[in-house]
Amino acid sequence: MWYVDMDLEAEDKRELLGNLFLVRQFEEHTIEVYQDRGIRELPHSSLGQEAVGVGACFPTQEDDILVPSLRTRAVMLLRAPLNQIVAGMYGTESGPSNGRTTEHHMGSSGNGILGTTGMVGSHLNPSAGAALGSKVLGDDRVTISFLGDGATQRGEFHTALNFATVKQLPVVYVIENNQRTEAKYIDDLVEVDDLAEFANHGLPTEIVDGQDVTKMVDAVGNAVERARSGDGPTVIEAKTYRYRPHAETMPETRDRDELEYWKDRDPVKLYKERLLDEDVIDEDWVEKTTEHLQTEIEDAFKFAENDSLPPEDALFHVYKDADIDHWTGVVR
Amino acid sequence: MSTEQTVRESLNQALHEELDRDESVFLYGEDVGDYGGLYKISEGLKDKFGEQRVFDTPLAETSLGGTAVGAALAGARPVVEIMYADFLPIASDHLINYAAKMYFNYGDETSVPLVVRAMYGTGDGHGLHHGQSPEAWFMNIPGLKIVMPSTSRDYKGLLKSAIRDDDPVIFLENKMKYDSRGPVPDDEYTVPLCESDIKRTGSDATIVAIGGMVNTAIEAAENLSEKGLECEVVDPRTVSPLDMDPILESVKKTNVLVVAQEAPTFGGFGSEVASQVIDDAFFYLDAPVKRVGAPFTPIPFAENLEEMYVQTASDIEDAVLDAINT
Repeated sequence: MWYVDMDLEAEDKRELLGNLFLVRQFEEHTIEVYQDRGIRELPHSSLGQEAVGVGACFPTQEDDILVPSLRTRAVMLLRAPLNQIVAGMYGTESGPSNGRTTEHHMGSSGNGILGTTGMVGSHLNPSAGAALGSKVLGDDRVTISFLGDGATQRGEFHTALNFATVKQLPVVYVIENNQRTEAKYIDDLVEVDDLAEFANHGLPTEIVDGQDVTKMVDAVGNAVERARSGDGPTVIEAKTYRYRPHAETMPETRDRDELEYWKDRDPVKLYKERLLDEDVIDEDWVEKTTEHLQTEIEDAFKFAENDSLPPEDALFHVYKDADIDHWTGVVR
Repeated sequence: MSTEQTVRESLNQALHEELDRDESVFLYGEDVGDYGGLYKISEGLKDKFGEQRVFDTPLAETSLGGTAVGAALAGARPVVEIMYADFLPIASDHLINYAAKMYFNYGDETSVPLVVRAMYGTGDGHGLHHGQSPEAWFMNIPGLKIVMPSTSRDYKGLLKSAIRDDDPVIFLENKMKYDSRGPVPDDEYTVPLCESDIKRTGSDATIVAIGGMVNTAIEAAENLSEKGLECEVVDPRTVSPLDMDPILESVKKTNVLVVAQEAPTFGGFGSEVASQVIDDAFFYLDAPVKRVGAPFTPIPFAENLEEMYVQTASDIEDAVLDAINT
């Protein structure tokens, strides 16, 4: 293995835990604000599955292309400025596209985030395409694409994997199998035990404990290295769990035992306890880090809540290379 | 100086020149590489530019559309062939929801500079699913550009512009016209997108025709000329975003408007042109606007039914005379 837990320096470990704290605290604060006074973008929380995105982002280079699913909050938080992200959730002028789009699907070439759409799984072929672009341009960027278990049921998943494999593209697909497609158990929707079986298109697949951030670092690190060396795509299935319903408007339908079972293996708690055991951190570090993050997060929400709505001309950003009257649709 | 060329030759040359000019341009699709394209548009290009830049793909239009979006977002300039335009709906999530919306969606100036080439055109007995004229399917989507050339010169110049353009372009090629010939300038040139062109001047009626119907409209205009009526034929070339000014100017001069397209009349390109003219030049019209297009049916297979479906020069002539005699 190219990347193993043993190779992580103490500083790396603190960074990983800090990133887990960031995503956890951000998601908790988002729900708190949403329940208290509403947020324009309906939260689709990643609570419980933070280690997947945090671990997967760790072995990437700054110019690698990340393609989040709508629930891979870690990618946004680790790549884009906090104020911009929250403004994106509020649809205000400091948002990533002047309020034209949501935080869920925003794209930014500068931050290495490929834009996505509201169609689950529609980003899987574009992810292969980004890798194809890198190959044609001769740069050494790798594309890391995240998807939920739901997206594996779409034809996009299978066509993208076949294309990426046939063309040996530098792309890594990370399935965040959180056990539920919207409200339905994944077991009721597919007849395979592991979604990795579903990815049997002639490329390497790996099943990883998505609650263990270091396992994610290892698996994605190896896959990224393979991709960068020209050895083609990989599929990683991370077994994980989300603590919240699909979206915050949906009622909870799971029983308490199931939630408790997974919370026993909470990814943030697991790693924090491990680092405390290893004396990489102490309680004082934990307190200072979480306090600092909490201040930053709350400041970003305050910033967004006080931010102006976008100017009306922000709407008219449709063609880069044509001057049109947007009310009539014709060329000026 | 110019040389007579088929549309096929002019397209091949355009691709050749653009692949040569810009290393970020690449061409792919089903049987585009080794076979040279089903209709031989890309013949010889793989040999010249290599497997990395001209290649074959699995049979999955969703991959063709989707990977083109991703490659364009990553900074390359993909030219992808979807073969028959009837297959565009398979790729259209990527065209409608992805390509058309990313410039709007991104927080910076990133756009989607891709070209989707697809062919349409009927009259060859290919039936329901190998010849539909799909422009109206996509006209209601802000963010897409739709190009439908009519002459060898325009095919070449517009394809070169489409490849250089920063927005996603659906480039529609009429497969019935691949062998038609016309003068193509010998020197390097481009034809700008979003500029309507007057293909024939006249003062008695305006015929706005697109794609394969442009030549049909010119034929109709020549026949009417023998009867003493001079028609102006306007070829928008880019269907969306549409350059209306030359159309409005022409209507203000002729006071009569006929629109012609291959697709069914209802909900079509011609309806939009008629609406725009009613908005901006209503009091210049001396007659009702006449639309020429297919009936509201699928393309039929039987020879006689196909003949009913395909509109000809005499249909356009009748429409012009109908309008003038109203």
